[in-house]
Amino acid sequence: MNRASSGIHTPFAATLIGSQALSADTALFRVAPEASALEALSRFVPGQFVQLSVPGAGEVPISPADLPGGDGTLELCVRRVGHVTGLLHTLPAGSELGLRGPFGTGFPIREMAGRPVLLLAGGLGIAPLRSLLFHLLRESRDFGEVTLMYGAREPKLMLFREELAALAARRRLRLYLTVDFAPQEPAGNFSCAVGLLPDLLKGFSFDAQGSYVAVCGPPALYRCLAGELEGAGVEAERIFLSLERRMRCGIGRCCHCAVGQKLCCTDGPVFRLSELKQIPEAL
Amino acid sequence: MEKAFLNQARLGEFLGILRLFGELHGPTVSHDGVAAFAALGDASALRLDYGRTQIPPKKYLIPFREELLQYRDGSYQESQTNAPDMVLFGLHPCDLDGIAYLDLVFLGDRPDPCYAARRAALTLIGISCEPDDFCFCNDSLETTACDLFLTSRGEGFEVAVLSARGGSIASAAKALLTRSQSALLPTRDASCPIPPQDPQLRFSGNPLWDSFAERCVSCGACSVCCPTCYCFDVREYPGLGGGGTRLREWDNCLFVTHGEVAGANFRGTRLERLRYRFLHKYCGFSPLEGMTSCVGCGRCKKVCPVQIDLRELIETGRQPAAELP
Repeated sequence: MNRASSGIHTPFAATLIGSQALSADTALFRVAPEASALEALSRFVPGQFVQLSVPGAGEVPISPADLPGGDGTLELCVRRVGHVTGLLHTLPAGSELGLRGPFGTGFPIREMAGRPVLLLAGGLGIAPLRSLLFHLLRESRDFGEVTLMYGAREPKLMLFREELAALAARRRLRLYLTVDFAPQEPAGNFSCAVGLLPDLLKGFSFDAQGSYVAVCGPPALYRCLAGELEGAGVEAERIFLSLERRMRCGIGRCCHCAVGQKLCCTDGPVFRLSELKQIPEAL
Repeated sequence: MEKAFLNQARLGEFLGILRLFGELHGPTVSHDGVAAFAALGDASALRLDYGRTQIPPKKYLIPFREELLQYRDGSYQESQTNAPDMVLFGLHPCDLDGIAYLDLVFLGDRPDPCYAARRAALTLIGISCEPDDFCFCNDSLETTACDLFLTSRGEGFEVAVLSARGGSIASAAKALLTRSQSALLPTRDASCPIPPQDPQLRFSGNPLWDSFAERCVSCGACSVCCPTCYCFDVREYPGLGGGGTRLREWDNCLFVTHGEVAGANFRGTRLERLRYRFLHKYCGFSPLEGMTSCVGCGRCKKVCPVQIDLRELIETGRQPAAELP
C-alpha cells in the first residue's frame, strides 16, 4: 500500500464567510481559505481561476471577482446553474468548502502597464473583470485611463451596479452601462443605455492604437466584439478574451477544456485574440 | 546491451521466477473468445499467440473508476492507492509505447500520485509480435520501453535486459538463460508509419469527414479501447451519513456531454467530436502538442461498428488539395 503524498487532488480547507445576493440566481460568496492556501493565492493574477469544492457535490472552476489574499479571503461570484453551484447557494455562513489553485494564465497585467485599458463585460463576465478592474484602480499610477463597458440583459441582472457607480464617481474610471432591453423599473440612481454592447462600442472613441482590451462574456458576444474592435483599429495581439470550458482537473490532464491544441486550464483561460483566430472552433 | 536466450521449454519455470517480483498478469482468452490481460493464476491460461486484447493495458494504470478523495470530519483527505507489485508479461511493442505515452501525461509536470504509485509497482515484459490486417504501428521488431523484452527466435526467445529491474529478474532466472547465439537482430520495416499530422487537416473540406460523421454512432468504443486515450471526468457523491467521495473515471470525447459547459456545448455535433479526437490523437494537446499518440495497435479500427478508419483520412490528407475528390 502506498500513501499518495502529492496534494494535486486535495483542496485546501476553506470556510464560507457569507454571501450577498446580486440577482435572482447570482450571489457573491466570501470565502476564507486556510492559512496554508494563502501563499499560492498571493500569486493570483486577475483572470486566473480556482477550483471551488462544495463537499458532497463536487468541484467547479470559478474566477475570483476580487483580489484575493490581502485580508485572507476571496470573493466568488457564482450563478446557480448546476448541482454544485445549486448546493453552494443553499449553504449557510460557516459552511466548510474546499479550494485548489489559482490555476491558468490570467490577464497580462505587466504587459498592460502604462497603457489605457478597456474592459468589456457581458453578463456574468463582469466577475473576472471586476478583479482586473480592482487591480487597475489599485495600481492606477501604472496604467493609463481605465474604461469599463458592461452589458446585461436587463437592469435587474446588472451585477455590482451601485459599487461600479461609486467607483466611477470616486476614481479614474470611465463607466458605460447598457442593457439589452429595459422593462419598466425604477431607474434608481444609475443611468444606463439600452442596446447591445457592440452597439455601445460603435459610438465610443478611444485610443485604439494604444489600448489594451480585456473581454469576458458569452461566446456570442466575443464573435461580435472581436470584429468591432479590430474594425476600430485595435490589434488582435492586444485583445484578451477569457474563455469558458469545463475544466475538471485544472492542471492540464482531464482533456475536457482543449481549445484547438491549447488547454484552457493551463494555457488559458485568458487568450490573445490573435492566438484564437488560428483556432476555428475557439469562439 | 546484454542478451540472453530463453528456451521455450523453460518458459513455465521463467514465469515462476516472475511471480517472485509481483502478481503475474498476461494475455488470456476468455470463454467467450475475448482476449484480455488477466491474472495468470494458472500459467496454462497464458496465450502468447494473441493478436490484441480488447482493453489495452492502460487499465492497470488508470482504472476505469478510482477514488481520489474522501470528505470526512470537515476536510478532504486523499484516498490510498492500492498498488501491489505486479508483473505484466507478454505486451506487444504498441502497448508498451502506449504506456510510455501515458507516462509522459501523468508523470510530467505535477505528477499524478495515483498513477505514479501504480506505475512504480509495475514490471513490464514485452514480447515480439506478428502484425495482422489491423496493425499499422511503426515499431521495429522490439522496443525499449519495458524492463525485459523477449524476441521470438527459433526454439525460444532472445531476452533483452532494458532496466535495473529487468536485470534483477534476469539474475534471478540465471539458471534458465543461456547465451544468445545471434549477435544482430533483424528489424521489421514499418509498413505504415504515422508521422505527426497537419492540425489543419481536421478542418479540411475532405468529404471523408462528413462520411465518418454520418456513420459514427458516438459509441465511444474507439476511445475506450485506445491504449493512449486517458481523458477523465471527476464526480463526487455524498455519503448517507454525511461527507462524500470524489471519484475519477474514464470519460470519452465521443460523448455529447464531453464539450458541455453551462448553457452551451462546444462539441455538440459528431463531426466536431470526431475532429476533436483526431486532433488529440494525431497532433497532440499542450504540453505534448505536435506529438502523435496513436501507436498503431489497430483496436479502434477493429472495434468500430461502422468501420471508421482515420487512416483513410490521413492517406487522402497527404494528397495535394487539388487531387481531392
